[in-house]
Amino acid sequence: MDVLVVRAHPQQGSYTHAVGDAAVRGFETAGHHVTLLDLYASGFAPAMSAAERAAYYGEQPLIDPQTAEHAALVQRAEVLVFVYPTWWSGPPAILKGWLERVMVPGVAFRFDAKGRVRPALTNVRRIVGVSTYGSPWTYVKLLQDGGRRMLTRALRLNCGLRTPTTWLGLYSIDTLGDTERAAFLDRVEHTMARLEPVRA
Amino acid sequence: MRTLVVTCHPLRDSFTVAVADRAVTALRGRGDDLRVTDLYAEGFDPLFTARERARHLDPGPDPAVAGYAADLKWCERLVLVYPTWWSGQPAMMKGWIDRVWVRDVAFDLPPESNRVQARLHNVRRLVAITTHGSSKFVNAVEGEVGKRTVTRTLRAVCHPLARTTWIAMYGADTATDSQRRAFLDRVERKLRR
Repeated sequence: MDVLVVRAHPQQGSYTHAVGDAAVRGFETAGHHVTLLDLYASGFAPAMSAAERAAYYGEQPLIDPQTAEHAALVQRAEVLVFVYPTWWSGPPAILKGWLERVMVPGVAFRFDAKGRVRPALTNVRRIVGVSTYGSPWTYVKLLQDGGRRMLTRALRLNCGLRTPTTWLGLYSIDTLGDTERAAFLDRVEHTMARLEPVRA
Repeated sequence: MRTLVVTCHPLRDSFTVAVADRAVTALRGRGDDLRVTDLYAEGFDPLFTARERARHLDPGPDPAVAGYAADLKWCERLVLVYPTWWSGQPAMMKGWIDRVWVRDVAFDLPPESNRVQARLHNVRRLVAITTHGSSKFVNAVEGEVGKRTVTRTLRAVCHPLARTTWIAMYGADTATDSQRRAFLDRVERKLRR
């Protein structure tokens, strides 16, 4: 399978970096072809520019060579994996901006004759999210997990409703010890090594 | 009332800008003490940097965003005006939250705790005004992420009795001019109340 791992954390050497590396190891163990996209390391700009917004509904919305390159990776991927820390119930701005600037009309969806959104990510057969949370699981459920919903609902609608999803969360991370953190890395690696795209 | 309007759209001639203008007119009409932040016009950088991450447990904002934090601590009413993209706030506004709503400004995190304590007790009214390209049904299926972020997550660090107001237009992709005018009127009516 062709796997695209998108990682978003500002600090090199952060726990999120270790999580992304564990995911890559898991997929490689299972013999899959993995591309790791580290948004901070690639200098990705989060905000959609005025020129991009003006081109959004036109023939070619990908006017930045970098977003075009990332879109090509997305169009080739059979599994999309997102690795990020949850901040304010959502992904960091850099990942939110990546969805806005790369998942544009013609890549993630298209408009039909009546102007309604139709899926275009039919190459994607599974969406995977791995996130860390400062809050406990109960509090995340109470406030609701915006990042998870964005990826497993809004993005998934553009892959097809039957596309399976996998979500791994590490909660209350600020008060966890090294043992729990190491155990989660193992869990991520083993889960990724066992993943199969269910939909043929 | 001291009111801070934070707005966000890359295009000057967008409907969001028209909505924000109408909101400002309505708030001025009721005699509010107003501050307006247009994130795109001011060239706000939404990128939460490694430097900020390294000091995120220290109190207070990064010096680069201290003015934005002072505005947030000043207001009694906070009005957010933005287009809903991928069911949430645009990255520009998410970055404003990531960078400005930090420890000691928006919340406190006691040692050995994983529950934040509210520090934005000055905010007693939280208003979100937004447009959704897709229908209300599609947004309900997607889980109204932006709405939850405002009315639950941001609300949780405001005054305990803070009231939230949600003013949303659905189906903006296919809306007619008269529907857009009606929405502008609704924004003004709701804010004057």
